[in-house]
Amino acid sequence: MSTGPSGITVSEGRGDVEAEDVPALEVEDLEVAYAGVRALHGVSLVVPERKIVAVLGNNGAGKSTLLRAISGMLALHGGSIEGGKARLHGRTLSALDPAEIVRAGVVQVPEGRRVFADLTVEENLRAGGLSSRGRGERAEARTRVYDLFPRLAERRTQRAGLLSGGEQQMLAIGRALMSEPRVLLLDEPSLGLAPQIVEQIGEIVATINEQGTAVVLVEQNAAMALEIAHRAYVLEVGRIALEGTAAELAASDEVRARYLGVAPDREVPAAPPSTPAAPARRGARELAAEGLTVRFGGLVALDDVSLTVAPGSTHAVIGPNGAGKSTLLNVLTGVYHASAGTVRYGDAVLTGLRPPRIAALGVSRTFQNLALSPASTVRENLLLGRHRLTKASFVSAGLRLPGARREQREQVRAVAEVAKVVDLEDQFDHPVSDLPYGDRKRVELARALCTEPTLLLLDEPVAGMNADESRRMAQAILRLREELGISILVVEHNMQFVMGLADRVTVLDFGRCIADGAPDQVQADPEVLRAYLGSHRVSQEERR
Amino acid sequence: MTQFFELLVSGLSLGCIYALIAMGFVIVFKATNVVNFAHASVLMLGAYLVARLHDGMGFVGAVLASAALCAVAAALLDVIFVRPLRRRRGSVDALAILTIGLNIVLGTELSRRVGTDLLPSGAPWGSNVTHILGIAVPQTRIAAGAIAIVLMAAFWAAFTYTDWGVAMRSTAADPQTAALMGIRLSRVAAGAWALAGALAAIGGAFFTSFPASGVNNATGLLALTAIPAAVLGGLDSTAGAVVGGLVIGVATTFAAGYQDEISFLGRGLSEVIPFIVLLFVLLWRPSGLFGTRELTRV
Repeated sequence: MSTGPSGITVSEGRGDVEAEDVPALEVEDLEVAYAGVRALHGVSLVVPERKIVAVLGNNGAGKSTLLRAISGMLALHGGSIEGGKARLHGRTLSALDPAEIVRAGVVQVPEGRRVFADLTVEENLRAGGLSSRGRGERAEARTRVYDLFPRLAERRTQRAGLLSGGEQQMLAIGRALMSEPRVLLLDEPSLGLAPQIVEQIGEIVATINEQGTAVVLVEQNAAMALEIAHRAYVLEVGRIALEGTAAELAASDEVRARYLGVAPDREVPAAPPSTPAAPARRGARELAAEGLTVRFGGLVALDDVSLTVAPGSTHAVIGPNGAGKSTLLNVLTGVYHASAGTVRYGDAVLTGLRPPRIAALGVSRTFQNLALSPASTVRENLLLGRHRLTKASFVSAGLRLPGARREQREQVRAVAEVAKVVDLEDQFDHPVSDLPYGDRKRVELARALCTEPTLLLLDEPVAGMNADESRRMAQAILRLREELGISILVVEHNMQFVMGLADRVTVLDFGRCIADGAPDQVQADPEVLRAYLGSHRVSQEERR
Repeated sequence: MTQFFELLVSGLSLGCIYALIAMGFVIVFKATNVVNFAHASVLMLGAYLVARLHDGMGFVGAVLASAALCAVAAALLDVIFVRPLRRRRGSVDALAILTIGLNIVLGTELSRRVGTDLLPSGAPWGSNVTHILGIAVPQTRIAAGAIAIVLMAAFWAAFTYTDWGVAMRSTAADPQTAALMGIRLSRVAAGAWALAGALAAIGGAFFTSFPASGVNNATGLLALTAIPAAVLGGLDSTAGAVVGGLVIGVATTFAAGYQDEISFLGRGLSEVIPFIVLLFVLLWRPSGLFGTRELTRV
């Protein structure tokens, strides 16, 4: 038994695929291209009836493309099937449009949940059931969904946008079940959810499967996926790299190292603890927040939170979803206003300043959900980060006066330098929309660095990344701190990621600060374990 | 004071007509992301058909027939011209320019058919006036207001409670996910266009009734003033369309009724007042009164 990055225990998988398995969904030699660029190269896979098939792979490996191709959604994304096909019980799906594919019995739960935020829970389910004709069938399907997710029944008249991330995921799955699919496609159901919710989602998927639905589970969270799946495929750059039963893959070295984060060389290289505050070369100052409180209407998002980031140190803020982590970042950067409390950076008081003023003080951030200009190239996105350091007025830039041209050249050079640090040289002139997710995250990081910050705020830098990618991200962050001597504040809910990285950790839960201290100290704190892993996990720990 | 109330009542009733027209505009935008300038010529088509048909089948029959024909015509515009462009992922501006082209072609053909004639709408109320609480109200205005309110209520109920409404709202919120749920986007789109066409026809019939004298070759231009109603309410808000319509209706009626008092602004202000109101509202709220502002959580 081994523990994956999410804290889920990997068991033996669920037995072998029996010889008499009837294939429900078959994908044969699928070739997909977006505007001439190949995304899938001859991918074949078989989903037997009543089985769960996991598809693992890095960001940009082609997992979402595969699901889009099966669901007939490629045209809406500017892609097309160049060869091969998908068949359901022998019937070719590739010629059908998305609505007909749903009626044939294949339904997809899209990545990022995508519930209809302004519709109520009940209306969302109704939208999912529109493809089935009979009143009775719909009522039956709805009863089944409410049985699976009692939480949704409680909230049936609420608008979906007001549900928590976990509840939205349940709603997205429930909505797809309304058409009683024979094959359910799940695109990253665990993305952005706290470990205990991920575990719950995993159990639900297993239950749905036991009730007779075949499942294709595309996941970053390999531990959860392999625990419940019967078979698994690993996609790498548009090709099937590995396939086998879930148990075989869970035991293979390659999968363990790359996707389960149990590399022989241990996790993240631990931050040298002997360097308390590496020399603050760029003049990093102390960030001190005191008694921060943020209220949205009656809701208290942050309740009297205080923390101090020492100059040149790496400080982590962790906590489950909805703990107030992003709110904290938004207050620090001036996007939200604090109802009470102050934030100081060195001598400057940040509370009450507008975002551009705060950026001018050397505070820069990245976003949890990417906030890049998709049509622009990496170079252009990074140049945006140089805006604060650009002197030429728009008139001289517009007239291309010599001074402005010289400055432009210097800026491009500076930006290229940063791109090298985060390993984006090769993608420098590609539009951001062409890059896989992991690369985009690094573009964000690079853009933040382009402002030459003395304090860098990172909002979930490894959200949606697999173990391998997060390890590389951690190394990049460590390198930055070492080389630039800036302070870094990381917001994460991946506890493992933070432990090897931070000098100090603050834990938030329901807007309150429940622990603050050195990583190992915080990790052992019983209250943190309870908030973070759920009491169920704690009792397991105690049993050991 | 009596004049004020007369104008207000009359303005609100005209506003209801504007609201019907603007609502069609908004529905098309929400369901298909098309800013449909051809709406104006569909309205003129509706008014023209009512004027041509009412001799044979009576005013009510003519309005119903015209609504049905305009629904078909609008749906055909969508299927024949807009859908192929949308399939190939045409941008919002390309689609809007396409509809401007359609509007010109259709509008020109209708103007040619109308020629220099003035075709009365044939509304049975004519220019009759009813006195309510000492206020003189033209009967067309009462009928227009009542019908508009009934239609809006029916529309709201359908939007809220029926399968069609759920499909429309899901598609408006997130077309890709709606498609993944098995909702047929092209059907929803054609349905939205058809509904908008029917609403435009009904609006057109009242638009050209008393105090207007009938369909002439400038009706299409006049119909364009309904677009500010949709935009100022917020292009993606049906409630906004209603409020926007009422605002434009009242503003137009007041500008016409008080034109002697405000003659320093020039005569014929009522024809441009929708655009002036629109300008000021947009300066104050760039997404319209009820439009969704581009908001993202960071």
